[in-house]
Amino acid sequence: MILREPHVYRPQPGVFDEVFAPGGVPREYAEALVAELTKLGPAELAGAGRRRDAIFVQQGITFDATGEDGPVKDRPFPLDLVPRILPSHEWDHIKRGLAQRIRALNHFVDDVYHAREIVHEGIVPWQLIVSRPNFARQMHGIRPPGGVYCHVAGCDLVRDADGSWRVLEDNVRTPSGISYVLENRTAMTRLVPQLFNRYRVRRVDHYPQLLLAALRAVAPAAEGEATVVVWTPGSMNSAYFEHSFLARQMGVELVEASDLVVRDDVLYMRTTSGLKRVHAVYRRLDDDFIDPLEFRPDSLLGVPGLMRAYRSGSVALANAVGTGVADDKAIYHYVPEMIRFYLGEEPILQNVKTFLLGDPEQCRYALERMDQLVFKPTGESGGKGVFIGPSTPADELEGLRDVILRQPEKWIAQEVVKLSTVPTAGLDGTLAPRHVDLRPFAVFGEKIKIVPGGLTRVAMNEGSMIVNSSRGGGSKDTWVLDDGAGTDGDQASPDEVVNVPQSLPGLRYASWTGQAQQQQQTRAGE
Amino acid sequence: MLARIAHELYWLGRNLSRAEHTARMLDGVFQADVQARSEEAGVTLSWGSLLAMMGGETDDSGVPHRDQVLRSLTLDADNPASVVACIGRAREGARTVRDVISQEMWESINTTNLELREGDLSERLRVGPYSVYQYVKERSALFWGLTRRTMLRDEAYSFLQAGGRLESADMMLRMLRVALAASGGGRDDGHALSLLQAVGGMQAYRRAVPGPPNAGPVVRFLLFERAYPDSVAASVDLLEQSLNRADDNPRNAEPVLRLLRLSADLEFRRRAEEDTATAPRLAEICEQVQAELGKVDRDVHDRYFAGAPAAA
Repeated sequence: MILREPHVYRPQPGVFDEVFAPGGVPREYAEALVAELTKLGPAELAGAGRRRDAIFVQQGITFDATGEDGPVKDRPFPLDLVPRILPSHEWDHIKRGLAQRIRALNHFVDDVYHAREIVHEGIVPWQLIVSRPNFARQMHGIRPPGGVYCHVAGCDLVRDADGSWRVLEDNVRTPSGISYVLENRTAMTRLVPQLFNRYRVRRVDHYPQLLLAALRAVAPAAEGEATVVVWTPGSMNSAYFEHSFLARQMGVELVEASDLVVRDDVLYMRTTSGLKRVHAVYRRLDDDFIDPLEFRPDSLLGVPGLMRAYRSGSVALANAVGTGVADDKAIYHYVPEMIRFYLGEEPILQNVKTFLLGDPEQCRYALERMDQLVFKPTGESGGKGVFIGPSTPADELEGLRDVILRQPEKWIAQEVVKLSTVPTAGLDGTLAPRHVDLRPFAVFGEKIKIVPGGLTRVAMNEGSMIVNSSRGGGSKDTWVLDDGAGTDGDQASPDEVVNVPQSLPGLRYASWTGQAQQQQQTRAGE
Repeated sequence: MLARIAHELYWLGRNLSRAEHTARMLDGVFQADVQARSEEAGVTLSWGSLLAMMGGETDDSGVPHRDQVLRSLTLDADNPASVVACIGRAREGARTVRDVISQEMWESINTTNLELREGDLSERLRVGPYSVYQYVKERSALFWGLTRRTMLRDEAYSFLQAGGRLESADMMLRMLRVALAASGGGRDDGHALSLLQAVGGMQAYRRAVPGPPNAGPVVRFLLFERAYPDSVAASVDLLEQSLNRADDNPRNAEPVLRLLRLSADLEFRRRAEEDTATAPRLAEICEQVQAELGKVDRDVHDRYFAGAPAAA
């Protein structure tokens, strides 16, 4: 009953709540949602939650996580049924900022493996670039079709206490989560369609088509003849659900290393009717594993000779090899500079203030404020190794200080961002504020296209800012509103034209045996 | 076999197939309608056109409400086109031929009917129609699966199949014609994802056809692609095979001859219309095929059921 008395839902002081303004009044764009949630009530919301878990387990929309009691297998993907709403002007801002950022990152990757202008200008030190674990020497001098390296990108965005958007992390290797965006939307329309009343929510289900079109666009093949595949490390990979989802949605083969073979600098897959040429690969494994001849020689998941074929231009890889140099946490610091340097524009989305601990000056400054900053190892992803100063005991911080001082160049420090909150349903259906971030997904083929919204991740514990699903975080359906008034839900939109062909025959029915005969039948048998 | 029994079986197949197609279309339109139309909405179905194609009438305002259409075409036992009415008639028909169909088939259809009558459907429809349509789809699949597994491949089986396939083809053509008419006929390159969603053919299409789901290729797929089991061409072929098996002298049977001609004609048109057909042209083909199937239906009644009491 918490929503019937809105004052009971208390946005935390000093944190931006996206649904309730300070004082507990719903923001204008969220009024209809709050009204529908109130009508629904906690009990029904909790009931819908149980149906959701059953459906997700049935459909195999699950993942493996590390819970408090150790690893948990096949957990239903945690979707919170209260959506997150982004008004269209917010989204336009994010979209422009992301497109700008991804263009700059793409320029940077090209530059690193070719002219190195940004180094010669003294903006990013070469020493820093080559020491990044994901810098790929093998990529030197290779320029993929259209000069596109970052075909698929996902940046993690957060909202600060004043509601402004900031980029927390870039991801231009193999960002995952898009399958959950699509599945979450489908689940929402099935489980709580009434919440959509009075909103016009922009669709997300065209993502697989965008991706396929981008892969076809970069494939070295005549139009309409490109063979595209999705390459997975295998069914034991934690993101296998997503790999198979994308292959299914695009209608292309999902391959593993053993399905692929390189002959004469051309990539083929083994089929029942012999070898078949492959033109474009959407690969979901890291550079290190793709070709044992040029990267890790112990990789069993790779295809020997793939880099040779790639270099000859007979196959396109998405993302390109070596893009990891651009989403490194230490390089992140330079992205605003890159935008100015390559594009001659001011960054639309700001970074979170970051300190490179490899720099003695910045290191000293950061270590003096350990209890106020977040410390992250640069080579890791998925929140591994991160510690948050304000919530770490002082004696532990001392130990970490020594760890950092041993290899300061492997660490960065960032100011703590008070992530915004959105009402989130507990097990009993009552709502409480929980911190969220946002990972939008962009596809770069001929142009950069961004699916409206993205994956909103939510920390399910009170006060927690850890949103990673591998560490117990949940997700929300993200609604980007279409401009223009929403419909009433049960009203047809006014522009609808009912136009039935004149010659359409009516439905036919079998003629029934007459009623009188039926009555006689009942009597005749008595 | 008895003409009356053949007639019942034929209509049992038709009613079940109609219920399933109606459920799929309602589900598809509902899911599309909950979200905003995309900028390139392309060829879609709307509540109004759905109601009109099922023979329903809109109220005075002329603009049907979503809930009204959902209710009328799903739960309204007084609307002969509603899902519950179709299932109800199928159940009555199955009861009449219990001695011919297998016990398991009878139980599956009887249980479905009971659940739809007694379950709290109205409430389920209100909170989320998906579960209702999912139930109808699953029960329909169960019935046809049991039919394949447990029913003797005799004449009775042939008439049951024939009814199911005729109705599938008719419903598909009905949907395509309404969707094509609503698209205005001008642009024929809009997306037609919603049509695939409304018949459950999304994945099959994506595996079979390279290239985006534009209206032209989607309509051609649903009309001509024999490898897709719910396409018009696939239904026509199976309908022909069923009647061919049931008939003592198929070489001399009008419905069989007509279907053989239609099947060949569909293949010729597929080749002729490769990539070039515009929406009005495809609409014209749909109209002709549907008219021809109407004649097949009449032929079937004349040839096999004429002796049945009260045959149409």
